[in-house]
Amino acid sequence: MNTDDLLRTLAADATPRRSLLTVLLYGLFPALGLAFIAVWVTLGLRADLIQSLSNPLSVARFLLTGGLGLVGLRLALTLGRPGGRAPLWPLAGLGLIALALLAFAYVTTPADARQMAMVGKTITVCLLSIPLLSVLPVAAILGMLRNGASTAPRLASVVAGLAGGGTAAAIYALHCTEDSPLFYITWYGLAIAIVTLVAALIGPRFLRW
Amino acid sequence: MTDVIDDLGHLLRAANAGDSRAYARFLQTVTPILRGIVRARSGDLGEATCEDILQDVLLAIHLKRHTWLPEAPVRPWLYAIARYKVVDAFRARGRRIVLPIEDFAEVLSADPVVDPTEATDMARMIDLLDSRSANIVRKIGLEGASIAETGTALNMTVGAVRVALHRALKQLAILRERHVK
Repeated sequence: MNTDDLLRTLAADATPRRSLLTVLLYGLFPALGLAFIAVWVTLGLRADLIQSLSNPLSVARFLLTGGLGLVGLRLALTLGRPGGRAPLWPLAGLGLIALALLAFAYVTTPADARQMAMVGKTITVCLLSIPLLSVLPVAAILGMLRNGASTAPRLASVVAGLAGGGTAAAIYALHCTEDSPLFYITWYGLAIAIVTLVAALIGPRFLRW
Repeated sequence: MTDVIDDLGHLLRAANAGDSRAYARFLQTVTPILRGIVRARSGDLGEATCEDILQDVLLAIHLKRHTWLPEAPVRPWLYAIARYKVVDAFRARGRRIVLPIEDFAEVLSADPVVDPTEATDMARMIDLLDSRSANIVRKIGLEGASIAETGTALNMTVGAVRVALHRALKQLAILRERHVK
């Protein structure tokens, strides 16, 4: 088949395709919905969820994890396009804010209470739940990237891990009653890092095109 | 120069909205440009291989055309795909090349030679498709049949031909990648 024949064949297949944003939303909404239902049914929402919203340190959990999710999704949409170059400073900014909050909590927590605040009571549940909850969101983001055409597959996979891990952590925070940044920045952070590492390892193979 | 860029944007926008004629013109416009890039980068790989790589690039552009943002310039997007696929083609043939993206612009100002050399890879890959898909691709590509004519000939609805054609092209891209590795 010569190139002119190929062009004719390609032109015949001119049916419009879904945009990357549409593909992402189609995958992500069910994924987040299922993750929410999983938390609600198996772990339960925290009993004092409404009251906890008057505690800025508790709300900061949603802002940081949700912010990571939104920033990550935005970057993933850019990295799903050929030649897409994503500015990484918003991610670095979120990381700095998290570290600043950690330092603030360290200073404001009495020395003898620090260890208890950091260890908390739910490390195991947290470190298991967030990676499990992030499976579907990360899969949805990687699916969008695969539908797209990333010329930076490793970076795109890292971003998919961060975004999926961030959204999963935000949903997990609806259950979790650990309000000290010493706890959640450490352990949510570790859980998201694990998700990101796994995504970075398996993503690039999946994103070949 | 800006006219060409705007023109490409108009054509691709119409193409992505489903305008088959605009899409054909878009492909005809970018093909000589891409052929110039592939030839300039391919060293001693030979005419036929160049044409094979060009067809890889065209197939990739086709399957990923929805990743172009309507307000974005077409060329950087086009070059990014070409670059990725050319590097891939060299890697598959056991070579490494470095393609600085800035170099692409300079190739383009050269007048690309139009020469629809017979490329061999694609014919072999079409043989590997299931018979119905292969028939559809041959009817449309080699015999120049329309979607409707193909449907009549193969006793399929227009919608079914469209879906089957799209799947066949996706499958071809997968086969080509597997095959060159």
